[in-house]
Amino acid sequence: MNINATLIAQALVFVVFVAICWKYVWPPIISIMEEREKRISDGLEAAKKADDSLEEAKLAFDKELDQAKSEAAGILEKANARASQIVGDASSKAEAEAEKIMTSASTTIENETNKAKEELRQQMSEIIIDTTQKILGDEISPEKHDAILKKAAEEL
Amino acid sequence: MASAYGVEHVVGAACKQPELTVTGYIQHHLTNLTLGRLPYESEVWTCNADSYVWDMPKVVPADTWTFAHGSSQAADMGFWALHVDSIGWSIFLGIVFITIFRFAIAKNTDTPTGLQNFVEMCVEFVNDNVQSIFTSAKNPLIGPLALTIMVWVFLMNLMDLVPVDFLPELAKAAGLEYFKVVPTTDPNITLGMALGVFILIIYYSITVKGLKNFVAELTLHPFGKWLMPVNFILEMVNFLAKPISLGLRLFGNLYAGEMIFILIALMLFFSSFAIGMMGFGLHLLWALFHILILALQSFIFMVLTIVYLAMAHETEDH
Repeated sequence: MNINATLIAQALVFVVFVAICWKYVWPPIISIMEEREKRISDGLEAAKKADDSLEEAKLAFDKELDQAKSEAAGILEKANARASQIVGDASSKAEAEAEKIMTSASTTIENETNKAKEELRQQMSEIIIDTTQKILGDEISPEKHDAILKKAAEEL
Repeated sequence: MASAYGVEHVVGAACKQPELTVTGYIQHHLTNLTLGRLPYESEVWTCNADSYVWDMPKVVPADTWTFAHGSSQAADMGFWALHVDSIGWSIFLGIVFITIFRFAIAKNTDTPTGLQNFVEMCVEFVNDNVQSIFTSAKNPLIGPLALTIMVWVFLMNLMDLVPVDFLPELAKAAGLEYFKVVPTTDPNITLGMALGVFILIIYYSITVKGLKNFVAELTLHPFGKWLMPVNFILEMVNFLAKPISLGLRLFGNLYAGEMIFILIALMLFFSSFAIGMMGFGLHLLWALFHILILALQSFIFMVLTIVYLAMAHETEDH
């Protein structure tokens, strides 16, 4: 337990070890720890940013979805309107066509009737003339009594 | 013929191996392996282990480098002697510290394991302490200094947990008469480190505060400039008390702890079986409790070093 040169030796050894620690031990450990700390905080920040942008994307998505929905509803409405309009147009057109067909049909019928009547009248007058000729002989010829026949036909 | 022991020896006379006594046991445990020069001629007597007669003594001339035999020779060697065991363990444990802390860290890993975790934990702990005490001034030396002190002192303290006779007996088998294994139970070691810290305190006091402020701090308080000598004496006591208390606190705690281990060990060797068994229990208890003291004392040494150096960096008047 004597105080001797061990004290000075230990002080020198102390200086040497502190110097070694200062130069070769402390800096690498501290730099690794700081680097990791920075990387972790960067990572957390990036995660937070990603979270935020996800939230934003969700909002944008919702907004677009709503817009798309309303657009779709508009389109559907328009389509319905157009469909009913088309149906309406078609039915009115069909009605008009039907009327037209009816009209033309009745005209044709009338014409046919008139034609048939005319033909019948003609035949009848011929039959009458034939019969009259046979009765009256050759005295009466259609050429001579054309006027009379015409008059008769008109009276029929 | 009188040897350095003061005991009569005669070459060829019958001798026996020295008996183990309580005093001798304790003395042996408290004596360092001291390398130095004796100012007088001395003789080394050995008892022949085969024939049990004294062999011819080996004569060591005055002023020759040799290991001291007994504490009185160690004292006679004066200041220029070296405690080879203390300084040896101190250097060895310092190398252990540097090796562990230098090679435990792997590059660029985000998931450190095992030893690296431990190393980083120590560094972070020390760094937090330094940051909390060194608030205004910044000095890149303080962190490594504090880490070295804490871990190194802790390792030296930890040697106290090695059973007291284990390493000394091994050393005896290797031919070393004395072998103290706990460097911090040697005041040279603790005061040596305190001296290192003290030099740093003076260095930073002068470079940071400036010589003028430093001298003013030592002479103008507490009584003003008219009582400068009184101030100087008071402040000097205060100033010198720092390294001395720093070194002696660590030494005292460890020395006392070591002494208790020695006394408990005595229960095993020099008393009845029952008391010997009790000694086992006590040894375990004291070892468990001592772990706390070992860690605490290394921590205190570190914190006080940081505090003293922080005071050396304070520039404002108080």
